[in-house]
Amino acid sequence: MAEALRKDFKIIGTRPVRPDGIPKVTGTAKFGADFSLPGTLFGKILRSPHAHARIRKIDTSKAAALPGVKAVITGADFPEQKNEFIGPERTAVNFWYMTRNIMAREKALYEGHAVAAVAASSPEIAEKAARLIEIDYEVLPHVIDVDAAMAPDAPLLFEDMTTRGVEPAPTRPTNVSKRLEFKLGDVEKGFADADIVLEKTYKTEAVHQGYIETHACLARYDADGQGELWSSSQGHFVVRNLTAKLLGMRLNDLKVNPAEIGGGFGGKTVVYLEPVAMLLSKKAGHPVRLAMTRAEVFKASGPTSGASITLKIGIKKDGTIIAGDAALRYQAGAVPGSPVMNGCLCIFACYAIPNQRAIGYDVVSNRPKVAAYRAPGSGIAAFAVESTLDILAKQIGMDPIELRLKNATRIGAPMLGGGKMSHEGFVQTLQAIRNHPAYSAPLGPNQGRGVASGYWFNGGGESGASVYVNADGTVVVSTGSPDIGGSRASMAMMAAETLGIPYDQVRAGVSDTTTVAYTHLTAGSRVTFATGLAVVGATNKVIEDLRARAAKIWGVDIEAVDWVDGCAKPSSSNVGKFEALTLKQLAAQASATGGPIGAAHAVNAAKQAPGFSTQLCDIEVDPETGRATVLRFVVAQDAGRAIHRSYVEGQMQGGAVQGIGWALNEEYIYDEKGRLANAGFLDYRMPVASDLPMIETVVVEVPNNDHPFGVKGVGEVNIVPTMAAVANAITAATGKRMSALPMSPPRLLEALGRPGKEV
Amino acid sequence: MAKHHVTTTINGESVEFLCDTRQTLLDVLRDELELTGSKEGCASGDCGACSVLVDGRLVCSCLVLGVEAEGKSIETIEGMAKGDKLHPLQQKFLEHAALQCGICTPGFLVAAKALLDSNPNPTETEVRYWLAGNLCRCTGYDKIIRAVLDAAAEMRGETHG
Amino acid sequence: MYEFAYHRPASLAEAKTKHGGDDDRRYLAGGMTLLPTLKHRLARPTDLVDLARIGELAGISVAGNTVSIGAMTKHAAVAASAEVAKAIPALAHLASLIGDRQVRNRGTIGGSVANNDPAADYPAALLGLGATVHTDKRSIAADDFFQGMFATALEPGELITKISFPVPQKAAYQKFPNPASRYAMVGVFVAVTGGGPRVAVTGAGANGVFRVTAMEEALKGGWSADRLKGIAVPADGLNSDIHASAEYRAHLIGVMARRAVAAAG
Repeated sequence: MAEALRKDFKIIGTRPVRPDGIPKVTGTAKFGADFSLPGTLFGKILRSPHAHARIRKIDTSKAAALPGVKAVITGADFPEQKNEFIGPERTAVNFWYMTRNIMAREKALYEGHAVAAVAASSPEIAEKAARLIEIDYEVLPHVIDVDAAMAPDAPLLFEDMTTRGVEPAPTRPTNVSKRLEFKLGDVEKGFADADIVLEKTYKTEAVHQGYIETHACLARYDADGQGELWSSSQGHFVVRNLTAKLLGMRLNDLKVNPAEIGGGFGGKTVVYLEPVAMLLSKKAGHPVRLAMTRAEVFKASGPTSGASITLKIGIKKDGTIIAGDAALRYQAGAVPGSPVMNGCLCIFACYAIPNQRAIGYDVVSNRPKVAAYRAPGSGIAAFAVESTLDILAKQIGMDPIELRLKNATRIGAPMLGGGKMSHEGFVQTLQAIRNHPAYSAPLGPNQGRGVASGYWFNGGGESGASVYVNADGTVVVSTGSPDIGGSRASMAMMAAETLGIPYDQVRAGVSDTTTVAYTHLTAGSRVTFATGLAVVGATNKVIEDLRARAAKIWGVDIEAVDWVDGCAKPSSSNVGKFEALTLKQLAAQASATGGPIGAAHAVNAAKQAPGFSTQLCDIEVDPETGRATVLRFVVAQDAGRAIHRSYVEGQMQGGAVQGIGWALNEEYIYDEKGRLANAGFLDYRMPVASDLPMIETVVVEVPNNDHPFGVKGVGEVNIVPTMAAVANAITAATGKRMSALPMSPPRLLEALGRPGKEV
Repeated sequence: MAKHHVTTTINGESVEFLCDTRQTLLDVLRDELELTGSKEGCASGDCGACSVLVDGRLVCSCLVLGVEAEGKSIETIEGMAKGDKLHPLQQKFLEHAALQCGICTPGFLVAAKALLDSNPNPTETEVRYWLAGNLCRCTGYDKIIRAVLDAAAEMRGETHG
Repeated sequence: MYEFAYHRPASLAEAKTKHGGDDDRRYLAGGMTLLPTLKHRLARPTDLVDLARIGELAGISVAGNTVSIGAMTKHAAVAASAEVAKAIPALAHLASLIGDRQVRNRGTIGGSVANNDPAADYPAALLGLGATVHTDKRSIAADDFFQGMFATALEPGELITKISFPVPQKAAYQKFPNPASRYAMVGVFVAVTGGGPRVAVTGAGANGVFRVTAMEEALKGGWSADRLKGIAVPADGLNSDIHASAEYRAHLIGVMARRAVAAAG
């Protein structure tokens, strides 16, 4: 599509105010916890205090007898599911595990695991009732760390789990749910040909997405078997499908209304509360509101994996990376499903390395089931590979960006897992950082500069949209994509650009599951790309209709009518002397020319382009305390083409700051009983404004030729390089290499050789 | 236990409500008065999403009891715009794209208003430290800080391009 | 929260009557610790006696060589006080570092001191300056007041009315904040008072705030950070938790003490 190469856009690339802006600055926007219906009951979930325990018996009689209690449920109230993995390997789901994660059955698998729930007429009664539920637990030995969980004598979460992906199929039970292997070339020969081979092990801790809105929903189940949900999620269609499947409902019996979502970052792509609230409502005969506390969010929603990676890289003295071999061990949490396959496919993706291998292990342990977190799995892998490249660059005396440029992937480079690199953009992010004034700015004592890069697939997939023209010439755009970071604005911009009308003539909104076609998650950096394609597709149908109506008015063929700058115009002077008809004029005549004007469009978008980011971090390390302070941070990222520049920059800044938190301070800390010791913002250390400098951005634009405006996803890759960029800066400042996250002051001080004993 | 009758002023209007002693001011605002603009992010005073002004002072309403509001003047996000005229901070947050998901936005706006009420010409560092009690996970704070500085400049009468 | 009754006395005398020395009744000052404690059901008082409307408990005054701060004075008020900044700038600085703005607008000096959280800032100032805690019954020297983690010399129902600080010749506070809570991982308050140099440490002690006499002795020989070099505080008796080990805290005490001495000039 030649349009991608256009540069004369009127609206694309500008920074208009978003359509949902006013409600969000005046407090009227409705988030997940802001809904209520007459007669609404309050739900409360009872959770396991143990990291690992067999549930011998649950007695709910006292709770059920408490006045004001309207329903009590346990895992036994949910229909059983088949134990099978369905869907593509990388995102496969297994409802047998999912239903057990939502409410425990045979065993409680982590502290905070839901075991029962109540609905009552007040929050106080609900809490009291939950405490009256009696559970007979047999406490079992637990395992928290990923390497410990892989040990042969580790406590087993599932006594019959064997490792998938191993031939012949093993019989010995294990916590390793899956093994994956991807190969390219001949790794052994590659290492034999290398001048320097470096092998190193890296560790990362589990971290939480840290969205400020806790999970919350309102559910109503009616006597006719129809249910309705108001829920804050990254995909209300997915909430509908999962909830329906877990409760045995038909898809059209469940309507889900998208609440505004107060942050997700991958963590709101799955369901926790919705099936519970709906089942409580069904039993109670009243609407039920359910919300997590912050402690519940930390303990029982999905953080990302902690991991252990052993990485070996072989390099020639001239800087050619000749071989890479990685073993990635990712925590899945209590049930299978870590992003380890992403880690395997991303770890070497920035570089054209002739010989590569990545082996991945998906490992269960007594922690909450992980959920996606911004480019899930890739940032962990990048911490390893980008740290090692930094070491190697120094060893051969090469500038770290020069080393990356020399090996940068280019169109046609073969990739692990099959296929070839099909897009440019990486080299340009490297050049952007090298050319940035920050790259050559002077540094003071105890200060250091690090750079690192990252890759993310970016997703496409299914999206639906509709576009309607009102009688006054204004336009309404509806999609099925929850808007977390301003996508309503970008949808309106793409529709306005396509129609050739001003932005303020278009209003974009998010529709419920009954009024627009199935739309997959707001995740995988897919919305501006895939839902954008649906919007453009629907808009083009509307333009086609507008041309037909102009043709009808003029009495000419539709081919004789062009759509230019928001007007129908004769395609040439041969057509006849007709005054251009504006959208407004055509809209006013809609009744007479065929009725209301509008179209729906749905896509399964392929040909998304991957995301690349290169980042620069300047840091100062206090040699006496080990505290690292970020002084300057620059993010370069290929956006294909920025639709709304401010929101593209915002993604880059937000991702980098989450990465800074991950790098320096954030971590899940467990006590010896397997209980989370820092389940609150008082102890879980997210960055605040006074911890940070401004985050400088360079929006690189190498258009994606497979999108009408050249869009590439921008939401995720910005977190991928950050942990390594910070680590590399710390090495530059101190001469010490940190191979484990977080690089908190006590750990950093210990690395500096002073008393900072790890805790 | 009998509920307490509380008379207070909210966003300039005299308001009476009944509350249980266990209800926080945030619970009262959200559940009794349907002012859901103040958000609960942690319920322990650590995130700032429930920030309101009590007699002009910035506090977390999740750590104030509803009964403590007796005779006080409360300002919430719902009272920040005057009719359809946005406060300059609200306008600048929109112009600078200083919000993404928007859940922390009411708290940031109330906190920033308290800052500019007491210090019309803050430095970037002063803004960053003043807002250190408000968590935002989307923006990395960059555009929030810029919006506050720009709003302050506008309120001082300095024009910006 | 468990159920409780709420009282709003207008005077100290009424507050005393409402409390009645009953262990199950609690005074409510700023609530920055008490309210989270109630929410987590870690305490079950029958009654809360709110001190907020008792005018005689708030306010700052400087008379001669003494700065007096009413128990219900907010951290923000101390941080912003021109009088405090002039008489004991280190105290105003310390107050400005407590928590965040929302906490400083609610939290009170009396509440902080009565709670004696081992990571709170104020106890370091009281002990470092040799302050006096005044209650409705008596006056207690800071050296006698703090009696271990969350423990003080206060008797049931005894209420702090004000804290008086002698104006020191010099003083400074240096703090290494917990990156999440901003509580002191280690905070060191140093001062030269009529009684000589004092060095008080918060955040580190397993039994709360304490003085480092070895450092005080060293500083008697001259006010210089160099004199503290080589004085190691043993890790035994220091706090180890999810944020830092006792060894790390021991090390930080030395660093923060030297920086505080240097800052005091």
